[in-house]
Parts: sequence; structure tokens; C-alpha cells
Amino acid sequence: MKNITDLNLVRQYLLGRLDEQADLEDNVSDGILFNDEMTDIVDSIEDEIIEEYLEGSLSSVDREAVDKYFLQPPERQEKLRFAKLLKHHFETKPSRYSGTKHENFVRPPVPWLSHFRTYGQFAALVLLIFSTLIYVNGVRRSHARLQGELAQERGRSASLLKQTELLRPPMVSLTLIADRSRGAGTQIPQVEIKSSTRRIIVDIALQGRASGSYDVRLETKGGERLLWSARLLPLISTTGDARLVFDVPARGIESDVYSFVVSSASRATEGLRHYDFQAKLAK
Amino acid sequence: MVQRGARRALTAEGFGKFLRWLSENDELAVREYQSIRMKLVRYFIHKGCSDPDDLFDKTVDVVVGKIDTCGECPSPLAYCYGVAKNIWRQDLRERKSAPPAALEEHMALPVYPDPQFHEQELKCLEHCMDQLAPGDRDIVARYHQGQGHEKIETRRRLADGLGGVNALRIRMCRIRKDLRVCVAACVDQWAN
Repeated sequence: MKNITDLNLVRQYLLGRLDEQADLEDNVSDGILFNDEMTDIVDSIEDEIIEEYLEGSLSSVDREAVDKYFLQPPERQEKLRFAKLLKHHFETKPSRYSGTKHENFVRPPVPWLSHFRTYGQFAALVLLIFSTLIYVNGVRRSHARLQGELAQERGRSASLLKQTELLRPPMVSLTLIADRSRGAGTQIPQVEIKSSTRRIIVDIALQGRASGSYDVRLETKGGERLLWSARLLPLISTTGDARLVFDVPARGIESDVYSFVVSSASRATEGLRHYDFQAKLAK
Repeated sequence: MVQRGARRALTAEGFGKFLRWLSENDELAVREYQSIRMKLVRYFIHKGCSDPDDLFDKTVDVVVGKIDTCGECPSPLAYCYGVAKNIWRQDLRERKSAPPAALEEHMALPVYPDPQFHEQELKCLEHCMDQLAPGDRDIVARYHQGQGHEKIETRRRLADGLGGVNALRIRMCRIRKDLRVCVAACVDQWAN
């Protein structure tokens, strides 16, 4: 897949200026979609546009393109809002990080001459003290290097943890096979909801012969609170097995036991089936 | 909460059919679905669409309708992308004939409707800054340091240290993303 090296072209693309040039637009779109290496580059150009928009350094034509095109998706409006928050933070608390050390900072050398003056007064102890100093200094340096490496490792681990968070899929699967009557005494299925989880894909295996639609409700185990309901058609395989496959947003679900209550919409006599599961919010 | 398809008539059956088309294996199908969704939603965001999720759902609707006739498909992503392009062009035509969606007025001004929420976000941001690796914290602090010429000079030095302007941009972009994810999780925790 071709690489796009012209960053200004990507910028024009993000501002909607290639929409009328089908071939060029296709080339850039394809390059971005099929080349994962472009993700960071495109994101960084987006950030640059937002920054210039906030600083007021965009030309009036670019500013209009940002207002009418670039900022239409809610995701970009959220990025802009966060950029404002960050700017506000550093404008109001600039001194909070003033103690941060600079990468090119070099510690001034220790004035060794002052030590030699002391050695002159205690000539008999010079060799002993000097060798002791070298030894202690060596140990200190080694200790400091190890501490530095440890701090770097900690930093790297924290960074990896954050990357892992970003890579977590926004969906989790939940398969429910046994309803409450069949699953009594056995452990109920669990679903872990992380901060990145947006939806839960649910797969319920229906028992017996399925036909027509089903009413499905998501509620707390005791039925005190209804969170969601829908009428769904089952998927029926060639062997006659029936399943309900759907997804529900994870928002609003807390660490608790919930139940999908399933009933046939056409055969009221069949009664309700409760498919319990335990939701766990990951810290 | 909205059932998948509630606002766009994609039935559970249709969704299941789409997953089966992606793979016979449930886990692989879900993984492929997530990957296609992420890429196409990003595509619609890049194209300045006001409701990228809805356009993705429309894309799936169209694909589901064609599954029986399109036969074997070597790359579901490429096929969905082809459909997504048509959906975007249709959306673009509609956008041109309609007035643009109203954005928050004075977007450039730091307006926060809920002061309590804003205060919490700032607290979370401080917390998340502390969670950053020391090197990243140093870069982001220095990046925002100073005004005018001093700011330009600081950024130039930072870029030199990191291997160029593009390397600095990408590094800052990753740090901002880390901070956004961290602040969102922190605020969520506070709200719940």
C-alpha cells in the first residue's frame, strides 16, 4: 500500500479540500485506511489543526473549513474541548511543572580541588581516603544509575499500560446458555466492563423450538430496575438451534448481577426465562 | 439504550448474518467486526461527517442487503469500504443541500456549562499528568511553556532533541491521547 509523504496533502484532505477531486481523494483515503502507519501521522495533523484553531493562527479560509467541515464530528469537538482544557491548565498553573528537569541538563562537576586541600593536611591518610572515596563514589554512581534505570522502566511500564488501555476493544462478548432454572447452583457467567468498553455483544442460546419474535429485557436480578428492552427475531441455524444475538451499550451498567428476561412475544404461555450474569467494572 | 438496528432497521438477524459473513468463528467474526467498525468510523470522521456511527450502521445495512448476491469476498474490509465511500458521497450531497449542523457558539472560548464538572476534569488532568512517564510529563510541560517567541524557541529545542518537528508532533499527539483516555476514565469514575 502506498505511503503518503506529502503532509500538506493530508492536511488539505482533513479540511475537506479534496472532496471534489475524486482520484486524489481516493488515493489519500485508501492510503490512510489501509496503512496503519498513517494513523499517528493523521492524528498529529488533526491535533496541529486544532492547536492552530485555538491559538487563532489559522487563515480565515482554513478557519471556515474547520468550522464548517473539520469540527462536524463529535469526536473532533471533544478533541477541541480537551485541547482547551489542557491549554487552560498550563496557563493557570505554569509553575506546577517548572521543576521538571530539562533533557540537556548537565550537572556541574564537583570541585575536587577542595578535597585535595584536605588531603594535604592529612598526608598520611591520603591514599586510604582517596581509595575509599573512589570506592564510595563508584557505589553511589552505580546506585544512581540503577535508580535511573528503574525510574525509566517504571515510566515505560506506565506508558505500556496506557497503550494497552487504548488497544482494548470497545466491545466485550457475553454468551448465555443456561437460564436461571437450568443454571441453579452453577456459577453465573461474568462480563468484565473496562473504562474502554462501549458495548456488550450478547448471544443467548434459546431452548426448545423457536419461532416468532422474542421480548428481551435487561434488568437488575431482582427486577427492581429496567435498563433496556427490545423485541428481537432469533437466528435459527440449519440444525434448528436458535439464538438471540444483539448488542447493548455498557454505559449505566455497574458491578452487580443482572438478568436478561426473555419471553416469546407470540406464546405468552411459555413464561419468562431469566439469563443471569455478573457484571464487574474493572478498576 | 438502543437495540442494534432500532433506529435503522438492522435486525438482530441482519447483524448475525453480517457476523457470519465475516467469519464462521464467533470470536474471529467479532474481532473482524470491531476492526472494520473502528476503521470506517475513523474514515467518516476524517470526512467531516457529523454522525460517523450512524453512517457506519448504514454501511452495514447496505452490506447485509448484498451478502447473498456478492458471493465470496476476499476482503470484507475492502468491500465495506467501497460501500462506505458511496454512503459518504450520499451524505455529502445531503450536507450540501442542507444548512450545516450548529456547532457550539464561540468554540474557541473555554466555556464550561457545568463548573463542577470542569473543576473535576481539571483535578483529573492534574492526576493524569502525575501518572505520565517523567519524560512525557517534561515534554508536555515544556511544550506549553512560555508565550510568543519564547514558546517557539522552546518547541524548536524540543523538536531538535526528539529528532525533528514531525517526531515532536507525533510524540505530543500520543501524550495527548494518553491524557484524554486517562481523564475520561477518571471523570467516569467520579461520575459513577
